Amino acid sequence: MNTDALSSAIASQLVMLFAALMLVLQLLLVAQQMLLVAVRLYALQSLMLTAIAGVVAYYYNAPHVYIVAVLTLAGKVVFLPWLLNRIVRDIKIHKEVEPLLNAATSTLICLGLAVLGFIVARPFTTLERLGSNTLAIAVTLLLTGFFLMFNRRKAITQVLALLTVENGIMLAAIALTSYGMPLVVEIGIFFDVLVAVMVLGILVYRIRESFDSVDTAKLTRLKG
Amino acid sequence: MLLAYLIFIPAAASLFCLVIRSRPLMEWANILAFAATLVLALALGQTVLAAGVLTEWDGFFYADALSAWMVLLISAVSLGASLYAGGYFRRDVAGNALTPGRVKEYFVLTPLFSACMFFAVLANNLGVMWFAIEATALSSVLLVALYNRKTSLEAAWKYVMLGGLGLALALFGTVFTYAAAIGKGGAEPLPSFDWSHFMTIAGQLNPRMIKLAFVFVLIGYGAKAGLAPMHTWLPDAHSEAPSPTSAMLSGISLKVAIYALLRFHILAMQCLGPGFSRALLLCFGLFSMFLAAPFILVQGNLKRMLAYSSLEHVGLICSGVGLGTPLTLFGALLHMGYHALTKPALFFAAGNIHQRYHSMKFRVIGPGVIKTLPVTVLFMGLAAAAIVGLPPFGLFYSELTILSGAVAAHRLIISFLILAALVAVFCGVLKQLSRILIGEPPQSPSSRTLASPTPVPPVPQGELGTAPKRARANDRSAMDGVPAMGLLIAALLLFSLWLPAPLLHLLQKTANLIGGKA
Repeated sequence: MNTDALSSAIASQLVMLFAALMLVLQLLLVAQQMLLVAVRLYALQSLMLTAIAGVVAYYYNAPHVYIVAVLTLAGKVVFLPWLLNRIVRDIKIHKEVEPLLNAATSTLICLGLAVLGFIVARPFTTLERLGSNTLAIAVTLLLTGFFLMFNRRKAITQVLALLTVENGIMLAAIALTSYGMPLVVEIGIFFDVLVAVMVLGILVYRIRESFDSVDTAKLTRLKG
Repeated sequence: MLLAYLIFIPAAASLFCLVIRSRPLMEWANILAFAATLVLALALGQTVLAAGVLTEWDGFFYADALSAWMVLLISAVSLGASLYAGGYFRRDVAGNALTPGRVKEYFVLTPLFSACMFFAVLANNLGVMWFAIEATALSSVLLVALYNRKTSLEAAWKYVMLGGLGLALALFGTVFTYAAAIGKGGAEPLPSFDWSHFMTIAGQLNPRMIKLAFVFVLIGYGAKAGLAPMHTWLPDAHSEAPSPTSAMLSGISLKVAIYALLRFHILAMQCLGPGFSRALLLCFGLFSMFLAAPFILVQGNLKRMLAYSSLEHVGLICSGVGLGTPLTLFGALLHMGYHALTKPALFFAAGNIHQRYHSMKFRVIGPGVIKTLPVTVLFMGLAAAAIVGLPPFGLFYSELTILSGAVAAHRLIISFLILAALVAVFCGVLKQLSRILIGEPPQSPSSRTLASPTPVPPVPQGELGTAPKRARANDRSAMDGVPAMGLLIAALLLFSLWLPAPLLHLLQKTANLIGGKA
């Protein structure tokens, strides 16, 4: 541990700060209707996750967490937002239609979910590990991600919601285990997410071609 | 190198199909790859019987009796699907239902799909198992959307989004499982996430975390396995996919998700005792069986009905595991195998019917398919008799084994509930199939159009236009898909009447493993 360079208290505070910023960005994402802005908010949220991984790697002097941080930076801060940006521009749909629940109600619900997240995480919150108190935020990201998915109708926003859920799980992995998952698992998850977004992108293009829209509320033919 | 080859051979076949252009060559590459994996699967079964456990690559790959049984099923179903796929897609291309490019997509993605399933059941690390299962979903989603119809895109979207949600929850549960081991079993800060390591420290894991983890994993992988109420993607995906893919999704992909559940179930039993995870599995299993029955009774679409029947069988398998006596475990494993042989044959027959009638709706297909497709109806009838659990087919014995196990364990109410659901599904499937398979077909397509109260737009015109051409093609197409269906049904009959001793030992070993008596 590089305890000289970075005291445990400061490292813990930094992790907490970045995690809190992830939650703030998530709330902005829930209230946001412009798709390009939403993609940028996701990129920023991933950047916060990278920062957390960086702090953890530096504090524990763990080379494999550095690799995870670099992968997150390259994949989730640069590549995926670029890909999603391109898809949004190609399909020429920039604005989400009015969601099921409006921005004010959504924000209130998300605050409720945050309280729920803190209650759920409470029994597992011990202070023995760096960032273990961020579990509550991770659970909240998971819950609000699910909410975002059900509340929105554009295919792109649903993909973003799934990606924020994944960010939440990665945060939970750091919160619960301090080092995150073993490297082979982290790399596997990373490539799965990249491939998932590419596959979803292909589907979005095809849905756009067939339905002349990416409104998933129109996907209602299959019943029973 | 046995385990590595099981993954690399289909992966290589996938790459090979990517670079070549000749369709017959792609068909053969698929068939040969899966024939090779079937041989390897048999060899693996032998090895596991002799040695108990096989590991490779420093323990990265791990195979015990349960993995060997799954590998055998994956190979058999994939081989059956690849035997059927060649002719099926030739007819689709001839009928302009698909472009050759899309067919190539099928032959590239299918071996990849199988390779991911092999990877999932052979991975030692539970996190690696998660991303292998996610990879099976990703490699099959474009197969579901292969026809590019509006409905198939909708099905693919639901499949990937609901599957993604489910798998996210499963990953959360996986993270919790890993966290439960931190600081246990040695001072190492980053413990191994290998299954073999976890089984040795199962007693020391944090029980509260394992409890929470199992709930997340059950909901997550349960969604992938099609357990109700997370099953809503299942009938859509299974009915909209091309028939060979439906067969693989129903026949084996659901069971790979059950395999993942079983791994966590074994771990939870070691850590928490048997009660907790068994009760949950039994609840979800029974609920799935009861939800499937009414949907089968009112279903108007052949492939959707088959999908709901899969839901019922998955429910039965989970109930058998949830009951947890040696007899019900054995029955559940046996049921997995028989279902894997039967359901693909049904989907192949449904594929033949679809290519003839261009619809899956009972109303459009109408009665009297036996007059136009006698061979297909013969196989469908046999497979249907098997799937509802009529003797002499194996599903009868496996269902009886589960039921008698439940009665022997004095779970009378549970056995009654299972029996009631089985009877309801029995009536539903036979009633629905008798609507279309037997009887007199309408005199001519035009009179049927007049007779039907609501006009069914595209189909009657299509039938009018191509009716003479069809009549000529009749003799030639009588044998469509017979090799695949025939082999599956023959294998089903053979193994129903005679269970080879090594297979029996393998199943007993697996049942002991799940029962916690390794």
